[in-house]
Parts: sequence; structure tokens; C-alpha cells
Amino acid sequence: MQRPTYGQSPPLHHPVPQHVSTVPQLRSPPPPVPQSGSQPTYSSSPYQQQGGASGNVFGAYGQFMNDPTAQVAAQFGQTAFKHGQEYVEQNFNRYVNVNALKHYFNVTNTYVINKLFLVLFPWRHKPWSRKQAVGPNGQEGWYLPPRDDVNSPDMYIPVMAIVTYVLLSTVVAGLGGKFQPELLGLTATTVLVIVLVEIMALKLGCYLLGISNDSQLYDLIAYSGYKFVGIIVTVAVAELANGGQGTGGWVGWSVFLYTFLANSLFLMRSLKYVLLPESAHGSAGPIQTGDVRSKRNQRTQFLFFYSYVVQLLFMWILTRP
Amino acid sequence: MYLIGNFFYVSLLLINAIAVLSEDRFLARINLSPSSYDPAFGAGSDASIKAKIINLIASVRTLMRIPLIGINTLVIVYGLFFG
Repeated sequence: MQRPTYGQSPPLHHPVPQHVSTVPQLRSPPPPVPQSGSQPTYSSSPYQQQGGASGNVFGAYGQFMNDPTAQVAAQFGQTAFKHGQEYVEQNFNRYVNVNALKHYFNVTNTYVINKLFLVLFPWRHKPWSRKQAVGPNGQEGWYLPPRDDVNSPDMYIPVMAIVTYVLLSTVVAGLGGKFQPELLGLTATTVLVIVLVEIMALKLGCYLLGISNDSQLYDLIAYSGYKFVGIIVTVAVAELANGGQGTGGWVGWSVFLYTFLANSLFLMRSLKYVLLPESAHGSAGPIQTGDVRSKRNQRTQFLFFYSYVVQLLFMWILTRP
Repeated sequence: MYLIGNFFYVSLLLINAIAVLSEDRFLARINLSPSSYDPAFGAGSDASIKAKIINLIASVRTLMRIPLIGINTLVIVYGLFFG
């Protein structure tokens, strides 16, 4: 798109930014701000625009800041807010490990699309193991974040899927004329209870079978949340095809079966590396091979039971109207 | 919110059931009592499934006897006064 050259543009009146803007360095370059300048000034103006864009926030308050008492008050407000934030963060950090959570939300668009496709069509994916690298503290076996590894579980898709499922089921109920505001809370608590029961069953199975759980709890919650993607697809397609009869009829049940099978295969392949023991030929010396094989059979059976039967039960519960 | 309350009731009833089982009359009959298994060679985490279940039941009973009294009293009072 050719812009007509207007010669040198007049100097841009942007106020100098009062502080260094802490915009995180994104991968993608900043979107080009539309300007009426000419092309030769394009190289220098993005930096000016960025500085100007952050300085514009203070540009609007520029008239208030000239008063020294207002400046003192602003400083006081800033420090108070920072102290409050630190206090909240310290107390919150004791219950929820925020740094570990950040690892799970470190996603890109490409990753989300690939992962969604993987959950709905896992049959042709080849390597299912997660990539490892040396962690930031120099620890071995630190898994790559979801940004770099499609097989890594994230929490973004499950959280989005759960919220979408709650809203979607309420919309479907509303289309059938049965909406009430308590339905939102009811669906949310159903989801919460189901996830809790599933994690407890998995932990109980791990304890009974002697599977040492190296992976964190967040991984299991993330894997438990992936089935909501299939449930959303089932509910949406069933609603479009049946128009209010729920997931009855051929279309609903076939979509449900397909998404259930896809989700179960995805879970089995992904949890294989979490639950089953490594087939280490070197460390099987002192243990009899029969024992290891029976243990391995037990664990495989448990994994199969968990991936198929348990998920079938929960997905059926969740797709009822 | 109704579902969470129901879920809490169900789990409370199940834990009560585990705590109330008579050890010598019932558990010994079906060989699930702690006195009938021998930790001869099994290490802590290498024990069989049955040993683990026995361990789990015994630990739930030992641990939850006293808190269950309190929780049951609370639920009974709640049921009496608030329906």
C-alpha cells in the first residue's frame, strides 16, 4: 500500500515518559501504529511511538502532576499499592505455588491450536514424550514449557474449556427455556466435584499400585481438564443437530463416542509416561522379572481403566442436559 | 452449591462406614485386619495391593476416630436445627 510522500513530518509532540514502561518483551514485533508520516521516518518513529504510547498515559495526567503535593500523594499511593501487592503475593504464595502455575500458562497461539487438534485427533501423533532440558536453577530433567513442546500439559486450555463448558451448558439450558441463575453455580460446582473425585481416584490408584508420583499435581489437574474440550464439541454439535433434545439421537451419541475415544487415547498416551514405570533393563536385576511384569500389567490395566471407564462415566455425566 | 453439600455428606458417610467396621468380627473374617498380614519381605512401597489396602484402612480408622466424633456432632446439630 503506497502512501504519498509528504516530505519530512513535523516533530511529534509526545511528552517524555515519567518512568520506564515495564512492557514484557513479546515475541511478535509491536503492531505498526498508523501514522500520517512519510516512509523514511518509519525506522525511527516506532521507538518514538512506543515511548510516546507509554508516555501518553501520563500525558493525560500531565496537568495534575505539576502540583508538588499531588506528586507526593501519587508517590504515596504507589508505594502503598506496591506494599499491599507484596503482602497479598506473599500470603498467596504460601498456598498456591504461583511460579509453578506460570509455567503452565506459558503458551502460544500455535501451541493452543496444535494441542486442540491433538486432543480431538490423537491417532497420528508420533512422539508423546515430553522434552527435557536443564532448568533455570541448573536442575536436571526440567521439562520444557508448553511454548516449546506440544506434549507438555498446560492449564490454559483446561481453564478455558471449563469456563466455556459452564457457559455453554447454561446457554443450551436457556435455549430450551429452562434457564435459572443458579444453573451457573450448579454447573461450576459439578465440574469442581468431578475434577476433585477424579484426582482423588487417581491418587488412590497410584498409592495402591505403588506408583511414585514424580509429576506434580498440576499436571494431573491439567490432564483431567482436557476432556472438557471433547465435551464442548459434543454439546455444541448435539445442540445444533438436535435443537434442544440434549445428546440423544444418532448425531449426539456418535459425536460423544468419537470425542470420548479421542480423549481416552490422548490420556493413555500422555499418562503412560507419568504412571507406568520406565522399561529400564538395567535396574531390573534384583527384582524378579515375573514380579515386574505383573506389576507392569497391573499398572497398564489401571491406566486403561482410568482412561476409558472412568472418563466415560464422567463425560457421560457432564454431557447430560 | 447443593452438589458440594451432597458430596460432603456422602464422603462423611463413607468414612464413618470405614471407621465403624468391627475388627475382629468382620475384618478378620475377610482377612483385611492389620494383625493378619506379615511385613516379612515387602518394603514400605513394595508391598502388595492387599497390604496397602490393609494399611490404608487401619490408618483411616486410627486417624479419623476422634475428628469424626466432632464432625458427626456438627452435622447432627445442623440437621436438627436447620433441616
